[in-house]
Amino acid sequence: MTEWLWLFLDLTLILLLLTLAWLTCATHNNQKGVTYFIAFGLLLALAWARLKAPDLALAEAVIGAGISGALLLAAIKHDDDAQSVNKLPSIKLWMVNLLTVALATLMGWGVWHGLELSDGNRLADQVLAQVPESGVTNPVTAVLLNFRAYDTLLELAVVLTAVLAVLTLNPMRKTYVPAEPILQTMLSWLVPLLVVTSGYLLWVGAHAPGGAFQAGALLASALILLQLAQPTAYQAINLNWMRFLLIVGIAVFVSVGLLMMFLNTAFLGYSSSWSGILILVIETAATFSIASALAIAYMGGRPDGWETFETSTSSGHQGGKHS
Amino acid sequence: MNNPMVWVIMLPLLASLITLAWPRRAHWIGLLFSVITLAFSMVLVYQVFNGGPQTHELGNWNAGLGIALRADALSASLLVMAMLVFTATTFYADAYFSDVNKRMRFWPLWLMLSTAINALLLSGDLFNLYVTLELLGLSAVALTALSDNRAALQASIRYLSIGLLGSLVFLAGVALIYTGYGILDLELLAQRIQAEPLAQVALTLMSAGLIIKSALFPMHFWLPAAHASAPAPVSAALSALVVKVSLYIILRLWIDVFDVVITPASALLIGILGAAAVIWGSWQALRAERLKLLAAYSTVAQLGYLFIFIPLITGLPEGQLRETAFTALVLLALTHGFAKSALFLSAGVVQHRAGHDRIADLAGTSRALPLTTFIIALSGVALIGLPPSGSFIAKWQLLAASIHSAQWWWIPVVATGSILAAAYTFRVLGHAFGPGDSAGKVLNWGREEIPALTLALFATVVLGLGSAGLWDFISNNSQFIGG
Repeated sequence: MTEWLWLFLDLTLILLLLTLAWLTCATHNNQKGVTYFIAFGLLLALAWARLKAPDLALAEAVIGAGISGALLLAAIKHDDDAQSVNKLPSIKLWMVNLLTVALATLMGWGVWHGLELSDGNRLADQVLAQVPESGVTNPVTAVLLNFRAYDTLLELAVVLTAVLAVLTLNPMRKTYVPAEPILQTMLSWLVPLLVVTSGYLLWVGAHAPGGAFQAGALLASALILLQLAQPTAYQAINLNWMRFLLIVGIAVFVSVGLLMMFLNTAFLGYSSSWSGILILVIETAATFSIASALAIAYMGGRPDGWETFETSTSSGHQGGKHS
Repeated sequence: MNNPMVWVIMLPLLASLITLAWPRRAHWIGLLFSVITLAFSMVLVYQVFNGGPQTHELGNWNAGLGIALRADALSASLLVMAMLVFTATTFYADAYFSDVNKRMRFWPLWLMLSTAINALLLSGDLFNLYVTLELLGLSAVALTALSDNRAALQASIRYLSIGLLGSLVFLAGVALIYTGYGILDLELLAQRIQAEPLAQVALTLMSAGLIIKSALFPMHFWLPAAHASAPAPVSAALSALVVKVSLYIILRLWIDVFDVVITPASALLIGILGAAAVIWGSWQALRAERLKLLAAYSTVAQLGYLFIFIPLITGLPEGQLRETAFTALVLLALTHGFAKSALFLSAGVVQHRAGHDRIADLAGTSRALPLTTFIIALSGVALIGLPPSGSFIAKWQLLAASIHSAQWWWIPVVATGSILAAAYTFRVLGHAFGPGDSAGKVLNWGREEIPALTLALFATVVLGLGSAGLWDFISNNSQFIGG
C-alpha cells in the first residue's frame, strides 16, 4: 500500500517538475519566470531527497532555489522592463529548441547504451571502501574535502572570481524600501535560528548530510535578510573584515595543503590521525568565505570605499572614484 | 617530491589573494609571484626532460580515487610558454593601467587567470578539467569587462554566455563518461575507453563544448569582439593562452585518451572546420579596420592550422612521421602564443600613443614608434611563417605531413592562408611606414615595449633556431606517441 503511495507521490513530483520547467522557459515575464524557477528548485530538492541524496537536496534547496532565486530577483529588479515582454526572435527560438532537442536525444542515446557498461572498478565503490580512512564518515564530505579536495579548492576560487567580477563591474545597489515592522520582528527570531542551523550543518557534515557549502549558503541568507530589513546596516561594514572573510577560506585551504605537502609529500595529503580536525578547520573557514561571497553577490557590487580606502592613506595616488 | 606542479598552481592563487588583501602593493606582488612561478615552470620542464612525464597524486590517494596532476612534454612546454607570455605581459600591464582603481581591480583577476591556465594544463582528471575551465572562463570574462565601455561590456556578456554554454556541453560529456565508465582519471580512461556509442556521444559533446571555447569556425563569432575590446594585456593573454588551452584539451582527448573512438571521418570534419577557419579568419583580418580586430581575426585563422593537424596526425602511422607532425603542431602553438601576444601588446602601445588603432590612420607610426613597428613586423614574420620563425618550420612539416599521409588538399589551404597573412601584415606595415604624424611627432621609447620585444624575439628567433631542442624534448617525453 505504501509503495503505491510513494509511486503516486513520485509521479506527481515528476509531472510538477516538468510543468514548472516548461513554464519557466515559456513565460515571457521575467518576474514570473524567476518565481517558477524558485518553485522548480524546491521541488527538485524533494526529488533529490527521494533519490536518497540528502546532501544534494540540501544544497539544491539552499543554493539552487534560495540564494540563486534571491540573486535572480535582485537582478531583474534593476531591469526597467521586468514586467514587459522579453521575447527572442522566433527563428532564434526555434534554433535553440532544435539544439536542445538534439542534445537531449544524443545524451539519451548515449545513456541508453551506457547502462550496459556499468561494471568493474567504479569510483563510487572505491570511495565507499576508503571512507574509513578519510577522517569523516559522511562519504560526500570524504569526497569533497579529502579524496577530491583539490576540486573543492578550485571551486572556492571560482566563487571568489565570480564575486571579484561583481565587485569589479558595479557599485552596490542602494535603492531599498525600508522593511515593514513585521519583517523586523520576525528577523529577530529568524536570524539567530539561521546562524545556529548553519553552525549545526557545518558540524554535522562530518558524519551526516551537511557541510560548508550548505552552511555557508544558510549564513548568507541570514545576511541577505538583514540587508533587506536594514539597508543602512551595510554602510557601517568594515571593509578590511570583508576582504579577510572573502579570502580566508582559500587561504586556510591552501595553507593546510602546503603544510601537508611539507609533512607528507603530497599536497593536501592529510596525516590520517589529523584528517578529521583538518577537514573541520578548512570547512569552517570555507563557510565564512562562501557566506560573505554570496552576501556580496546579493549586494550587487562594491560598497562605498571599497576601492578608495587606500588612497586616503597614501597621498601620491588620488584615483578618482569610478562612477 | 614533485613540488613544481603544485607550486605553479598555488603561487598565482596565493598571489591573487594577497593582491586582494593588500591592493597597494599589488603590482610588486604580481611581478614577484609571476617571476617565481615562471622559475618553477622551468624546473618542471627540466624534470620532465630528465625524468619523463611527471605525476603528483594529490592527497596521497591513488589516481582514480583522488586527482592526479600530470605533466608531459606537451603540457610542460605549453606551461612554460604560458608563463613566459604571462610574465612578460605582467611587466607590460604594470605600465599599462594609469587609473589606480582599475589597476586594483586588475591584479586579483589577472593572477586568477594564471592559476586557471596552469591548473588546466596540469590537470589529469576529466571533472577537474571542467572546474579549471570554469575558473578560466569567469576570470577571462571579468578581465574583458575591465575596459568599461559599452562595446567591451556587450562583448564580455556574450563571451560569458557562450563560455557557459561551452562549459555545460562539456560537463554533459563528462557526466556521460562517468555514467558509463565510473572513472574520471584520464590515464585510466585511456585504458578503458572502447569504441562504443556512449564514448562517441561523450566525446562529441566534450569536443563541441571545447570547440565553442576555442573559437573554431563557425563558433568563432564571439572571439573578435571580446579579444579586440579587452584591455591590451588581457587581449594578449586571451588570444595567446586562453583559447589555446581549450584546444589543448581537445588534443589531449582526441589523440591521447579517446584515440580508439576517433574515426577518419570525424578527424576529417574537424580538419575541414580548421581549414575554413584559416581562410575565413585570414580574409576577415585582411578586411579589418582596426589593428586589434586584425589581431583577433588572425587568431581565428592561426587556431585553424592547429586543427588541420588532427586529421594528419591521426592519419599517419605511429612512428617517426607522426612524432614529427605532432612536434610541429606544438611548435606552431608555441610560436603563435608568443607572436600574438607581442602583436596585441604593440597594438596597445599604438593605441595609447596615437589614441586609436585604426589601420588606415597609422601613418608615421614607424618614425614615432620605431621599436613598436619593428615588433609588429617581427610578429608578422611569425604569423606568415617566414624563416627563421618557429612557424616556418612548423608549416613546412605540416606540408610534409600532408604529402606523407596522402591528404594533399590541405596544401592549397596552407598556401592561401600564408599569402593572406602576408597581405594583412604588409597592409599594416605599409600604413605605418607612410608619411604622417598620427602617433605623435616625437620619437618614443617606452618601457612597455621591452616585454613585447622579448615575446616577438621568442617567436621568431628562439623557437626558430632552437626548435631542434624542442624536437628532442617532445619526441622523448610525450605520453602521446606510442603511449
